Amino acid sequence: MTETNHERWSEDVAAYLLGALEPAETAELERHAEGCEHCQAEIRWMTPAVNAVPESVTQLEPPRELRERVMAEVRFDAEPENVFADEPTAAGLLDRAYGWLRDLGSGPMGLRPVVGFAAAILVVAAVAGFAIGGGIGSDSGKTSTVVSGEPPTGEAPGVTAKVVSSDSGGTLHLANVKQIPDSRVLEAWVQRDGEVEPVEALFVPDRKGQASTEIPDMDGVEVVMVTTEPKGGSKSPTSSPLVTIAIPQ
Amino acid sequence: MTVRKEKAERLADEELMPLIGEKDPEAFEVFYDRHGGVAYSLAYRIVGEKAAAEDVTQEAFISIWKSGARFDRARGSVRSWTLSIVRNRAIDALRSRAGKAPKLTFDDDAVLEQRPSEQLTDDEAMRRETATEIRGALGELPGEQSKVIELAYFGGFSQSEISRMLGVPLGTVKGRMRLGLEKIRGELAEGLA
Repeated sequence: MTETNHERWSEDVAAYLLGALEPAETAELERHAEGCEHCQAEIRWMTPAVNAVPESVTQLEPPRELRERVMAEVRFDAEPENVFADEPTAAGLLDRAYGWLRDLGSGPMGLRPVVGFAAAILVVAAVAGFAIGGGIGSDSGKTSTVVSGEPPTGEAPGVTAKVVSSDSGGTLHLANVKQIPDSRVLEAWVQRDGEVEPVEALFVPDRKGQASTEIPDMDGVEVVMVTTEPKGGSKSPTSSPLVTIAIPQ
Repeated sequence: MTVRKEKAERLADEELMPLIGEKDPEAFEVFYDRHGGVAYSLAYRIVGEKAAAEDVTQEAFISIWKSGARFDRARGSVRSWTLSIVRNRAIDALRSRAGKAPKLTFDDDAVLEQRPSEQLTDDEAMRRETATEIRGALGELPGEQSKVIELAYFGGFSQSEISRMLGVPLGTVKGRMRLGLEKIRGELAEGLA
């Protein structure tokens, strides 16, 4: 490294620490600094000045409700039944849903022997649901399908769900849902052609632990899932599903 | 199993983080009480609206709760790590609100939400004293230096964007940033002497 090289990068150290370099410039400077003791020393020396900038803002008292919301979410997440291994991505949920469907579709009688009790209940309920649904459909003149679900092993125990489909839409009904913090809502997701997408309407359980929401378009839906999300909903799931329901095609 | 809050209160930030990584809500509560105020103030300083500042603060703290175990003490203090997360989220929020320019002044007094202060710990009192000194140091910077620092840190603008906005050469922006930070650093060094 020549002194000229160092000076060329040294000029950017302040901007780098203030977050004012373009991403490519940041990467270049970091690469250079790895092998440049001068730059490393400058970064170390100037860092406290940048750390002092946010401390300079006039201190406001945050609303007490903000603390309550944050801690309600934290306590909810800390409960063993709500602790999730990590924030699952939509792709992760998809794998999980596919894995679950694979379990249902293999092994003797279409079921692998190792498939958990919950999944077995779901299949039985799904078959029964079809029969029931057919009956309802005949009576109402609409094609209705009822599918009941239990959460896969490790998910919130006791939550039951059913999807009643009618024409191209459907209604998702949940029961035995634990009360959730004010800062959170239930959000339903549908998996269609391998893509997970949110259902627009957000919902919350009532005092009896029952909740329902409309799914405007059930066309091609393979799986319906429900997660708890921050108020306002999320663009992709940020917690593990409370319940996952396979929709027979 | 969680530690009792009183015990957590006696721990340094760096000692709280492993407990937060183990999902200890009482440790997190102590952590929030220590840094929630400055985090909210910083978020408000950047986004300029109370509701948006609350959202940013909540998202940042929940993100820390979920990733507490990932804190690396080799990369700085818990407080500066926390504030960098808040700053990044606030800048993201600012950028997502098209057409709204960031506030560009240190004068937040007009929008202060005055509430009775809670009992201050020694650490917090010292931080506030330091913050007052830093505010003074920033306030004493020549306007052109404080402006480029504000635009970069609170506005999220790159040095090239600042150069275009102010109509000055890029080299001038770099020089002003550098001089400004060096002066603040000098004030800090004097304060410690």
